[in-house]
Amino acid sequence: MDRLFQNLFQFDAPDSIGTKIQLRIFELCTVYFTLSYTWEWALYVPRLSDVVLPLGIANYINVEIFFGDLATVNAILITLFCLIPFLFKKLRWLYAPAFLLFHLQHVVRFSQGEIPHSANMVGFALMGLGLAEIFFRNDIKKSLAFAFGFTVFFFGLGYTSAALSKLVATGITWPSGEHLWLWMGEKSIDILSKTGEFQFNWLQQLAFDYWWIATAILSFGIFTEFIGFLIWWKPLRPYVTLLLIAMHFGIDWTMNIFFFTFTVQLIVIGFPWNNLINKLTGSISKSSTQKTIEQYLLY
Amino acid sequence: MSTHKRIIGIVLLINILLVSTHRGEFWPFSIFPMFSQAGNPWSRGVVENVQDTTRANLWETKSIDKIDNRILALEKYGIHEIDYANYISKTKDWNTKKINGLRSTFQIADYPDQMWLATRVVGSLTEKDSVEIKAIPMFLFTADTTIKNPNLFSQN
Repeated sequence: MDRLFQNLFQFDAPDSIGTKIQLRIFELCTVYFTLSYTWEWALYVPRLSDVVLPLGIANYINVEIFFGDLATVNAILITLFCLIPFLFKKLRWLYAPAFLLFHLQHVVRFSQGEIPHSANMVGFALMGLGLAEIFFRNDIKKSLAFAFGFTVFFFGLGYTSAALSKLVATGITWPSGEHLWLWMGEKSIDILSKTGEFQFNWLQQLAFDYWWIATAILSFGIFTEFIGFLIWWKPLRPYVTLLLIAMHFGIDWTMNIFFFTFTVQLIVIGFPWNNLINKLTGSISKSSTQKTIEQYLLY
Repeated sequence: MSTHKRIIGIVLLINILLVSTHRGEFWPFSIFPMFSQAGNPWSRGVVENVQDTTRANLWETKSIDKIDNRILALEKYGIHEIDYANYISKTKDWNTKKINGLRSTFQIADYPDQMWLATRVVGSLTEKDSVEIKAIPMFLFTADTTIKNPNLFSQN
């Protein structure tokens, strides 16, 4: 167990420029996606009129009151609670209320029956940043390393959980090719509804023509999800990440759903960028200006 | 490492408690059940852009390829296609509030010369393992009227 936790939370060369850059990019990515989703949802909710399916806290409070300007007020608060700790590296506990308000924004936007998962890992990353500052006060190095490991942990758990859900709900016949045909038909209707037109691509045609190709695609998908928890181990992380990214491209090409945020987050957390940056910058000497900029941008 | 362990342990416990008491979803906690139930029939939605309301098969359930050349591109009207699909496929009781909710989503009053047929689309596997997709017309919206499919709703 201790080795697993070392794999999750300990970095090679923790005080190096490479580790600092990777951790701050992880934080930047979390803040960027949080704000991007927050405002996208805030601008959409005034169209909503009725709660079709309450999620999360919406099971306990009537979120219809947010179907207007309150969603924008919430977005302003989330923006402040994310930008202050990110830019000034102070009051980092603000990430915790930012996470709670982000949850609220999510359940207000997705009260219409759809249960998307595209922002779940952004939610975990923000939760990790908030929890980190509560437990490791005023130690940005420790708190960023914790939030990073916390996110990696829930990434692995999420993918493996997705595979187990499929095996529990359908059983070992889940990868059978005709299931992919049915989903491709379903997603074709979503695209048709969105754009007014739809054409199946070459891979989709191939999957429709050959049952075994459709079965192979689904088998690769469930296998990759199942081994998702192996991302917890540092030596395996880049390989598992590559497989997961390949799976996301496969989902895009067959079912027209691209998990852009997941893919970007995987790229940021899944590869040992810190070691690569350290190798590249190892022999470069820095001027005092560069050091000042580095001090401001990093920590 | 003990603080790390304790936090992960507590959050994991909260995760298990919340997903087990909220049908697998308490964002961001989730069992990630997307596409877990394979082979089940599905239900989505499209909007047909109607030119002629007198045509004989207007209210008939038909194959999707009979209408796929006149589907309204919802993105041009700022309507989220998944929200619309969920609304039209999951609503069981089409009371006045629900129908007005759909009108409000469409904001059709802003398009006085348009006639939009809200259509449910259902897909299933046939006995020969091919996919059959059918379009079921539900409501015809114009700027000032709503007409329900007489084959599905009683006329009162």
